[in-house]
Amino acid sequence: MTITDRSFQRLVRAAMTVGFALLLIAGLTMVHAVGDTARWTASVVHTYEVEQTIGRFSILAEQLETARRGFIINRNGASLQTYRRTMHDIPPTLDRIGALTIDNPSQQRRLVAVRREAEIHRASAHETIARMEDASPAMQAMADFGVDRSFVAMTDLRRLTQQMVDEEERLLVLRRAAQDRAGLSLYLILGVTGVLMIVVMGAALWVVRRYTTGLNASQDDLRTLNTGLEDAVAARTAELSRANDEIQRFAYIVSHDLRSPLVNVMGFTAELEATIAPLTTLIDRVDAEAPALMTAEAREAKADLPEAVGFIRSSTAKMDRLINAILRLSREGRRTLQPVAIDLAALTASIRDSFAHQLGATGAEIDVGGPFVPLVSDRLALEQILSNLIENAVKYLDPDRPGRIAVTARREGPRVVIDVIDNGRGIAPADHERIFDLFRRAGSQDQAGEGLGLAHVRALSYRLGGLITCISRLGEGTTFRLSLPPNLVDHAKEPSR
Amino acid sequence: MSENSVNIIMIEDDEGHARLIEKNIRRAGIANHIRHFVDGTTALDFLFNHADGPSRNGPALILLDLNLPDMSGIDILGKIKADAKLKRTPVVVLTTTDDKLEIQRCYDIGANVYITKPVNYESFGKAIQQLGLFLSVMQVPEVGDDA
Repeated sequence: MTITDRSFQRLVRAAMTVGFALLLIAGLTMVHAVGDTARWTASVVHTYEVEQTIGRFSILAEQLETARRGFIINRNGASLQTYRRTMHDIPPTLDRIGALTIDNPSQQRRLVAVRREAEIHRASAHETIARMEDASPAMQAMADFGVDRSFVAMTDLRRLTQQMVDEEERLLVLRRAAQDRAGLSLYLILGVTGVLMIVVMGAALWVVRRYTTGLNASQDDLRTLNTGLEDAVAARTAELSRANDEIQRFAYIVSHDLRSPLVNVMGFTAELEATIAPLTTLIDRVDAEAPALMTAEAREAKADLPEAVGFIRSSTAKMDRLINAILRLSREGRRTLQPVAIDLAALTASIRDSFAHQLGATGAEIDVGGPFVPLVSDRLALEQILSNLIENAVKYLDPDRPGRIAVTARREGPRVVIDVIDNGRGIAPADHERIFDLFRRAGSQDQAGEGLGLAHVRALSYRLGGLITCISRLGEGTTFRLSLPPNLVDHAKEPSR
Repeated sequence: MSENSVNIIMIEDDEGHARLIEKNIRRAGIANHIRHFVDGTTALDFLFNHADGPSRNGPALILLDLNLPDMSGIDILGKIKADAKLKRTPVVVLTTTDDKLEIQRCYDIGANVYITKPVNYESFGKAIQQLGLFLSVMQVPEVGDDA
């Protein structure tokens, strides 16, 4: 991932955060605006209710007046009934207005005046009705009517209620305006929120799309890379295998051609040795019988000859061993492989058993518990590889701690990886490659060996289409990692070979 | 082999080996004449064309090394065994190669004995001396004798 990508990611994250924060604010504002609108709507409804109640009071007051007058004129029961009802209804209606306008001092003030006038109105009505019922002269009542305070009270009531209605109308205009504003701002906020949502969702979609595209592209890249890698591994393995074949042929020819002169060296050395005995006898005789003929050089030669022959013989013997080792290596390389299904658990167990004697002496343990995976390969070659590796592990254990050796196997991509792990004396990093070379050994040379085992292991690994590597820390232990194709038959069929 | 008329023809490119082989054959008490060739071409010429060669004159026994500078001993063996006159001539392959396939091939073509030269000289000497003892009791057919 490049720097640009990273800063872009930071930018996207910041933009998305800001977008979602704005959306949150918009949502909160909307909740507030809705509350506002509802509040203003409620206050408008409230105002209507106040107006309505004031209206009802006005009607009641007028009805009371009408009932009074009607009763004076015809004294009928209907008027009396209306009188009683209105007389009864007026106080609770006024109380209701009082309750409704409790928050408005100017209305409360007017209401006090209204109450006073209403009381006068009711009292005079009561008086009129009472007089009429007392069967007082009707004319008295009618005379009273002209100067009755009720007329003034009624006029005042009409004026006062009108004022109250006007006040409410004023409030209504204000509240309706406020309601309209609240509604408008709600729409505005809704609109802004909508736009914001579209923008944020769009941005989110774009980012998701961009990442998905990027992800797909990198997946494709990865697939291509993987395929390339597998091809590279296959090509490399094929190359190694070819190189190995060449080395095998070379080793075979060289070891044969080296053998011929060695036969001569050894043969004539033996002939030479055979002449030492008669020569020594001769020199001894000359020394005894004719010392005058004896020279210092002859005496020296008598001593030097066996020594020289001894060195020649030990050197040729060693050379013979080395040549035989190379021959064995090359012969192994020419053997026809026979791929079979291999039970790694049984194979490692049988190898472990073959080391039981050596292990018993040191108290070391070999864990061949696995885990193991199915594998099709050449049994003999694999047995020799594992046997060599385990033998090395046993040979180079650290005497200061109890030896622990383990063999595990697992599938890693298209390969089977077998590890032989020990806690032995370890191998210095400089020697990790060198130990696989013929006749090369690492560490203190306190164990018998010619430096052939790992060269053999490597040659066999290559033949099986595998690779062998060494992972080690001096003084801690070593892991030899063998990576093989899971099926030698399929591997051999691959066109790259 | 008791008769001196049987020639031993040794085809061996290494002079040292030839000398060691001769010494050890003599040590085994074999006194037959030994003719030594260091390459395949002259050896074949002698075998098939020379007046003293086995195809014209008397029975022979061939000691053959497989690694020759100009050709493979196996080719020489093939030619001998394919020839009507020489096919019964005993051929002892005496070489450093101890490869199983090579040994099988030689016997398939018709080698009579295959001996690997041991590098260890004691074994080598012993092997050649035993070969000498073997040669001393071995019957060699007349060349071209169809009877």
